[in-house]
Amino acid sequence: MAFDYIGKDFTRTDAYAKVTGTARFIADLSFPGTLHAQVLRPPHAHARIRSITTTKAEESKGVRRVVTGLGCDILFGACGLLDQSPLAREKVRHAGEPVAVVIADSINNARKALKKIEVEYEPLKVLLDPVESALNRDVLIHERLGNYKHLSSYYPEPGTNVFHHYRLRKGDIHKGFKEADVTVKADFEMPLSAHSALEPHGVVCRWQGKEKVEIWSSSQGPFLLQGVIADMFGLPHANVRVHVPYVGGAFGGKSDVTIEPMIAYAARFVPGHAVRYICSRKEVMTSTVLGRGMKGSATLGATKEGRFTAFRAELYFAGGAFGDTVTNIVTVAGHNSVGPYAIDNCRVDAFGVYTNSPPVGAYRGYGHPEGCLMSERLVDMMARKLNMSPLELRRKNFLCEGKTNSLGETIRDHNGNLFKCLDHVEREIFSNPKPAEDDRYLYGRGVASMMKSPKGATNAGSCCQIKFCEDGSVHLNLGGVDMGQGAQQAMRQIAAEALKMPLEKISVYSEIDTQHSPWEWQTVASMFTWRGGNAVIKTAYKAIEILKKNASMVLQADVETLGYNGEFIFLKTDPDVKVAVRELVRGYMYKGGLTVGEVAEASASDRLPRYVEPDPRFGMGNAGGTWTFGCQGCALKIEKKTGKVIIDKFVSSFDVGRVISPQMIRGQIVGGVVMGIGQTLKEKIDFSGDGKITNANWKKYRLPTIKDMPGKQVVICVETPEARGPFGARCIAEHPMVAVSPTILNAIYDATGREFFKTPVTPEELLGVMDK
Amino acid sequence: MKDTVNLTVNGVRYSVACEKSESLLDILRDRLGLFGAKEGCGYGECGSCTVILDGEAVTACTMRDKERIDGSEIMTIEGLADNEGNLHPLQEAFVESGAVQCGFCTPGFIMRLYALFDKNPNASANEIREAMSKNLCRCTGYEALWEAALLYQKRMLGEKDGCARK
Repeated sequence: MAFDYIGKDFTRTDAYAKVTGTARFIADLSFPGTLHAQVLRPPHAHARIRSITTTKAEESKGVRRVVTGLGCDILFGACGLLDQSPLAREKVRHAGEPVAVVIADSINNARKALKKIEVEYEPLKVLLDPVESALNRDVLIHERLGNYKHLSSYYPEPGTNVFHHYRLRKGDIHKGFKEADVTVKADFEMPLSAHSALEPHGVVCRWQGKEKVEIWSSSQGPFLLQGVIADMFGLPHANVRVHVPYVGGAFGGKSDVTIEPMIAYAARFVPGHAVRYICSRKEVMTSTVLGRGMKGSATLGATKEGRFTAFRAELYFAGGAFGDTVTNIVTVAGHNSVGPYAIDNCRVDAFGVYTNSPPVGAYRGYGHPEGCLMSERLVDMMARKLNMSPLELRRKNFLCEGKTNSLGETIRDHNGNLFKCLDHVEREIFSNPKPAEDDRYLYGRGVASMMKSPKGATNAGSCCQIKFCEDGSVHLNLGGVDMGQGAQQAMRQIAAEALKMPLEKISVYSEIDTQHSPWEWQTVASMFTWRGGNAVIKTAYKAIEILKKNASMVLQADVETLGYNGEFIFLKTDPDVKVAVRELVRGYMYKGGLTVGEVAEASASDRLPRYVEPDPRFGMGNAGGTWTFGCQGCALKIEKKTGKVIIDKFVSSFDVGRVISPQMIRGQIVGGVVMGIGQTLKEKIDFSGDGKITNANWKKYRLPTIKDMPGKQVVICVETPEARGPFGARCIAEHPMVAVSPTILNAIYDATGREFFKTPVTPEELLGVMDK
Repeated sequence: MKDTVNLTVNGVRYSVACEKSESLLDILRDRLGLFGAKEGCGYGECGSCTVILDGEAVTACTMRDKERIDGSEIMTIEGLADNEGNLHPLQEAFVESGAVQCGFCTPGFIMRLYALFDKNPNASANEIREAMSKNLCRCTGYEALWEAALLYQKRMLGEKDGCARK
């Protein structure tokens, strides 16, 4: 199939605005009559609130209102567990929780007033470790867990700190381990980390009376936000209008809801004013959401020939103070921890556990990097025990046509080809012998494989609208947020292909407004190109049908006899009999003004077919929907003197189905790899014993800089078209980060002969093991 | 207590009354309505607020020295394209290389590189890397940013040698 606009690079539609500094992000918007909000956070990570006195703060200069959670009985949840209130009531459950919001005429005056709020706390025992918290029945972070409303796919355990328990029971685990000649087992840990999108979270909220509100937010999920805010106050959803301007990176940290319920609640006390709140960097790290936070153990069994017979795992997620946004992560980590292998007998228990830390939310790949660390380290250990190449062992067990995955779904050829991905990685990394250890360096090479499914609402959908201008140019409108991934440009190229029109004639939406944008569940789970792209194609075909219907009247021919080439509708049997698209877009107007036909505006939607929540007893079902497979590999060296890891080459090969834009897909992949390198070698949220984050800034929480780039990155996209993907495209966005940690840890083993099961692996730790 | 500072921004002269605590970034954004420089951290670690002050790349969020700001010439991202809105070759290199994803760090990186190459067109790879390591990007993995810097330098030097290629 030859394409004109798919698989090619064009200038991104948002590039000009972004290189000239004219792209407007949330903090760049201004509103008349703006008031500023600042937030009081507690000095304790777990404490009962005895009293809050706001009198002095209310009298402070410039203050319009001081809002606390006292008397607020609202509980909200964005995903399906309503366990959070907009401001702390009765107790605080993490040190970043909002206790009071001051609304004042300036940020400075609001800050000064914060200091005048008096709060009496009764400190409680702080729980940070998820395993300890899961076992502790004396200290409960949510005493009323049993009363919270939740979706039927959530399994809280009232009377404990466990707010969700996902069980996978595939086959017979005892039989599986009986069949195994060899087993390998290890304990794993991936600590809490910070998404660190460059743009801090921000929100502006303006109530019109108490019944209608307009919100501007740096959100990945404007429609979800609309629903959550409306439900908090019992309002029709349509009374909440959400705008999303340019978003400066998100990586999941701006999905679901974070700061918006708090500001919406507070701003309702000052209707008519735009109440503005932009997080400080510290607040992004202490008071929005964090990612990961998994501790667990896993065991893999195999026959001596290398067939995997059994996989067992337990994963405990330090979900933080609220479980709503963690539950899907727990589920997806559970069924993906098995890895991209056909294993008949699997038993996984994944627990979402309340801890006194900021809530965990979606973070690039959520659940998958945690699970992938387990499966891919175990596979390497197993290969050594079996004295087999780790690549061969993977090939023996890869999911492929006819095999069933952990969910019991049958994998088909069109789901992707792991063998091709691994072949590419093998050629790039293992073609030459590994350099021998020298005075300065130890050398190592490693690989890992991965799979990723989306996980979200089962009715998650994307909608598209196409409308023609009088000259035949097109407005393309969707509700997917472009937070840098290039969503708008991808949609534009897909529309150009489907409409057979030059890119220049297609103007794509640049911001979201729930009043005007078509519905989108959330821009998460790497789903937008896939689902939004399908919606674009369906909508384009509908629009073309309208043009054809209009033309059929003019050309006096049945619709099915007509063809379309982007510029004309023509008679298939005689293309010279034609009428221009631009003459058909508002119906067809005859000389004299008589007009017939429809206005060419169309909309359509798309969602995953037969997508359901996992079965409650076995944790299986059609819960993946669509899969992306891939393999990564690296060649690295470790400096003996410093313990520093230098990645000379990093290779990523994913079966992406179809490349929409080579430049943008490479940008996604190499960016995800560097983020993964940060996760593996540098990044970790640190806590003091009493539960305060001690590195909530970029001076101490070190992100990768340009100096951490691998010497070379190779990206090879395999293109096995997906049966239902837009022009065969598959999801790819979070995926590049999923297997980076096991890839590097496998290479570190190769270099040092030492096993690491915990990230990050720092130079100090490496020095420690190399000395021995 | 307010200070009055006189400064020239992108060739336009301003006299601004501002609080002692205000940074150059506050002045640019809140007083002059120039929103191109961004605040990512507020303490000079991410470089998203990088502007050029008397030829030097500075993080505007940490620049509070009113004596230094007073009488200075500032260049921000808004001053880089020409009056017709045509992109500067450095901006073009960013677009072509795919160095723009979310765009939040973009103005800072562009100003950092503009200052570097303005002073030192022949900057070595190490010097370029050193300069760019003062800015953070979370989207691109730096590869496309790096390529944009090299592409711009190559073109700029090519033009200087009189062998510009289209």
